[in-house]
Amino acid sequence: MSTSRSKSIAKKLTRMNMVVCVVALLLACTGFVTYDFSSFRQVIVRNLSIQAQVAGSNSVSALTFDDPSAAERTLSSFRLAPSIVSACIYTADGKPFAIYRRDGNAPIPTEPRTLAGREETYWYEHGNVLLLHTIVFEGKRAGFVFIESDLRAMTARVKSYIAIAVGVLAFSLVVALLLSHFVRRSIAEPVIRLAEVSRQVSREKNFSLRAAPGKEEGELATLVETFNEMLGRIEERDRDLQSARDNLEKRVNERTAELAAANKELESFSYSVSHDLRAPLRSIDGFSLALAEDYADKLDESANNYLQRIRAATQRMGVLIDDLLNLSRVTRSEMQRQRVDLSGMARTVASELVKNDGKRQVEWVIQEGVEGFGDARLLRIVMDNLLGNAWKYTSKHPAARIEFGYERSNGNSFYFVRDDGAGFDPAYSERLFGAFQRLHGMTDFPGTGVGLATVQRIIHRHGGRVWAKAAVEKGATLFFTL
Amino acid sequence: MKQDCLSSTARSATTVRLLCVFLICLCFPAATLYAQDSRPGEYQVKAAYLYNFIRFVEWPAAPAAVKNGPFAICVLGKDPFGPVLDSILSGEAIGGSSLVAKRISKPEDALACRVVFVDASEESHLKDILTVLDKASVLTVSDIPKFSERGGMIEFVFDGDKVRFEVNVSNAVDAGLTVSSDLLKVAVAVKRNSQPGA
Repeated sequence: MSTSRSKSIAKKLTRMNMVVCVVALLLACTGFVTYDFSSFRQVIVRNLSIQAQVAGSNSVSALTFDDPSAAERTLSSFRLAPSIVSACIYTADGKPFAIYRRDGNAPIPTEPRTLAGREETYWYEHGNVLLLHTIVFEGKRAGFVFIESDLRAMTARVKSYIAIAVGVLAFSLVVALLLSHFVRRSIAEPVIRLAEVSRQVSREKNFSLRAAPGKEEGELATLVETFNEMLGRIEERDRDLQSARDNLEKRVNERTAELAAANKELESFSYSVSHDLRAPLRSIDGFSLALAEDYADKLDESANNYLQRIRAATQRMGVLIDDLLNLSRVTRSEMQRQRVDLSGMARTVASELVKNDGKRQVEWVIQEGVEGFGDARLLRIVMDNLLGNAWKYTSKHPAARIEFGYERSNGNSFYFVRDDGAGFDPAYSERLFGAFQRLHGMTDFPGTGVGLATVQRIIHRHGGRVWAKAAVEKGATLFFTL
Repeated sequence: MKQDCLSSTARSATTVRLLCVFLICLCFPAATLYAQDSRPGEYQVKAAYLYNFIRFVEWPAAPAAVKNGPFAICVLGKDPFGPVLDSILSGEAIGGSSLVAKRISKPEDALACRVVFVDASEESHLKDILTVLDKASVLTVSDIPKFSERGGMIEFVFDGDKVRFEVNVSNAVDAGLTVSSDLLKVAVAVKRNSQPGA
């Protein structure tokens, strides 16, 4: 297919040459033959006129001395001119005097046509040319000569012309074929070569290929040159692009390394901060406990109350530091992804929650067979937080219902934890996953505001997404994917 | 005026004649096959031929006396033509000289003529006449039998009922006349005198 396509320009060139040659020849032949016919007709008429003049002047004496046989002898010389169909000599008053017929029965006009004052006239009738000539002798009209000639000379000429034209046409076609061979070599072949190279370039995506410059000049040379130049430019641009890409990759790597280093620094900083914060806190807690136990009777009520407050605050700070440590651990720990039975995990969490506060009326609806693919330890933290939140925010309701399951809708699939507890104002749902962000008062629902931030971080590490839907006092649903 | 009268009488005569022919035709259909009378008369034709001969014959340069006068066609002896010859020649000219018909009685008078018609009535003097005209550039024409063999130039003969003529080229050449080949072409016979030595 590629060869036929590449050959098509050569074929087209050949065809074009042929067509031009044939059309030019036909036009030339037509013009030539048309011209020759009109001139040849005139030649025929002129010859006929001469023959009529000769016959007329040879018949003068016959007419003068009323000797038709002499005139017929004169006319009989027309036997040597086979194209003359008939001839007739008329007397001056228009009566037939002597008649010649080639075929013996050709009709002869009984009266010469009117000459309208002219000495000679000719006309065409059924494909023959007819001529009437006045015989003038000594300034007087002595009679007329009529000659009818067929155009067989013309027909013979037409035949020979057609033969010549066919011969010339055939010869010219052969010459044109040879010429087109040269034209092909000088035009088609460079183009075909160029097409071949361009096809190879597009197939191999190899822009270092070049079309070989041939001997040709002018537009074709420019074409080859420009093509090569274009390839060169593409190659150059390719190289630039490649180096830009390499550069970019390097810079990305650098940035990533910088970021990773910064991240690590930040994490170790927050870890050490939280870790180092524990030691003074422990001594505050320890000594305040010792103070409360050993000196409770020596302190008045208000001092004991202050002491209790210090202790509560210290413990809360301890929980806060634990949470912070957890959060930083979540980020730093290695992930080991595997298939995890989320339903079982949800049941475990639920039973632990129930064990801690068995007096509440909570209906657990846990879908069977829900599985996830992820790090079991991290997913346990997610389940702890989400179910724990549900448990916490339904604590103000006498009877509650907590659901866990897996859903598909609109081609998306996600896990969900639904409760019918306090809920929240959806206008603040964006703040929900920020660290230390809380939508409820500390007195209503205790907490550090780190739980959902941790959940989000774990889900993001799994490449998933977490979001919430809620309304005040209508419960909340937290969705996540893995 | 006179001519008009003549022609009108001729015309009425023709009418009467045609009527007769018509009546004869009614009675004898076979006789109508050839109505000789409707054709021009013998001497009418001969008169016309006399005039026509002039155009196919060339004369040498004539002596001044002859040259300046009219181109004369003479009738020697009894005139068989009547007014026909005059009417044919009237108004005609050749080489700038007008044609006239002359009636002469003596052979010597013929020397001033270009053409002389010797009537049959002169047959007995033929030898004398031709002797007088020997070497003179005068075209001699006659309907005397064997005229062309007896030293004349053109002799009227009958070919069937048609007036034709014979030409003796030698006699014409001897007189310095040139006869056109066209004329010879329509002659029934072209004769030449055998050379004495041949």
